[in-house]
Amino acid sequence: MQPELPKAYHRATLVDLLDRVLDKGLFLRADLVISLAGIPLIGATLSVAVAGTETMVRYGMLSDWDEAIRAVPPEQRQLLRERRPNGLLLGSQAEIATTA
Amino acid sequence: MAANSIAATSEGLYVYCVARGDGHHLFGPIGLDRQLVYTVGGGDLRAVVHNCQAQPYQSQDPQVVQGWVVAHQNVVRAATEAFGTVLPMAFDMIVRGAPGGGAVAALRDWLDEKRERFARLLDRLAGKAEYGVQVLWDREVIAAALVESDEALRGMRDETKTKPKGLAHLLQQKLAKAVRAAMEKQADLFAQDFYARIRRCVEDIRVDKLKKVDGGKQMLLNLSCLMQQGSGELGRVLDELQQTKGISVRFTGPWPPYSFVGG
Repeated sequence: MQPELPKAYHRATLVDLLDRVLDKGLFLRADLVISLAGIPLIGATLSVAVAGTETMVRYGMLSDWDEAIRAVPPEQRQLLRERRPNGLLLGSQAEIATTA
Repeated sequence: MAANSIAATSEGLYVYCVARGDGHHLFGPIGLDRQLVYTVGGGDLRAVVHNCQAQPYQSQDPQVVQGWVVAHQNVVRAATEAFGTVLPMAFDMIVRGAPGGGAVAALRDWLDEKRERFARLLDRLAGKAEYGVQVLWDREVIAAALVESDEALRGMRDETKTKPKGLAHLLQQKLAKAVRAAMEKQADLFAQDFYARIRRCVEDIRVDKLKKVDGGKQMLLNLSCLMQQGSGELGRVLDELQQTKGISVRFTGPWPPYSFVGG
């Protein structure tokens, strides 16, 4: 069951997901986990660009963010850049669908 | 094929989440790279996993990584449907076997070690989900409103219109500086007020880093909220916030409780 959604409900984007799966969630103890020595598990030069929705369709993994984003004309989407706390430029570019 | 024999020879196990449950569950080829997802058990806990090599998933191809991350989330969601609220793992958590033991044994040991803590977390998070709340403001709209509502700033603005060019320019810079200071102050006031109003209607909350946003907007608050599913109060508060001129809200969820499992 969903809570009553506020009027400007936005579908989640890849950036919202990355913020959670890369920085949060349960971690395994160091001796158990496979990792690159000292480097976060995602490669230091990772650059994750959000593919256009066409690519998401090809992957067949459309879920929460498909419909709302597709409904927004490309010229209204915004780009988001962010810098990781340790200074590595993650370079994630996400399209955030914004409605009024 | 029994889950045990699937697991038997695997170097590593990619772990998606931990749930309370029993029996063997086969989720099918929904994992990263379409790997077969199933559960490994320890007592009344189940880890949702797929077999993999003893090395992390990494790639320079953004579309590949995107596919993996989406698959990770999809598996966690499927597990949530099967088990109720689960404890989601961070991306790329792979258990390897200790020398003399396999990955399954290592994973079971880990579940044993964490049993009490996971049980407490699962109890606490049952029936709840995470929701992302980001409050943004439109800098131009807010600046204009601030100038309009403040006599001194209004006065400065009106002065710039009557003075000759050179002087007007200096006055304009002075005004801009004063407006920036006023905006910083207002941002703090909004953030505190909005945070308090949101905090009151959720069970738990985490403050996340502010993110840069384009298009003349600025993020004031970036929150992850834990809430009973079906609660309408937060939605009402967020609607209220958006009555304030220049304020907008991004609301996402329900998420598995990534922010509330304590890493």
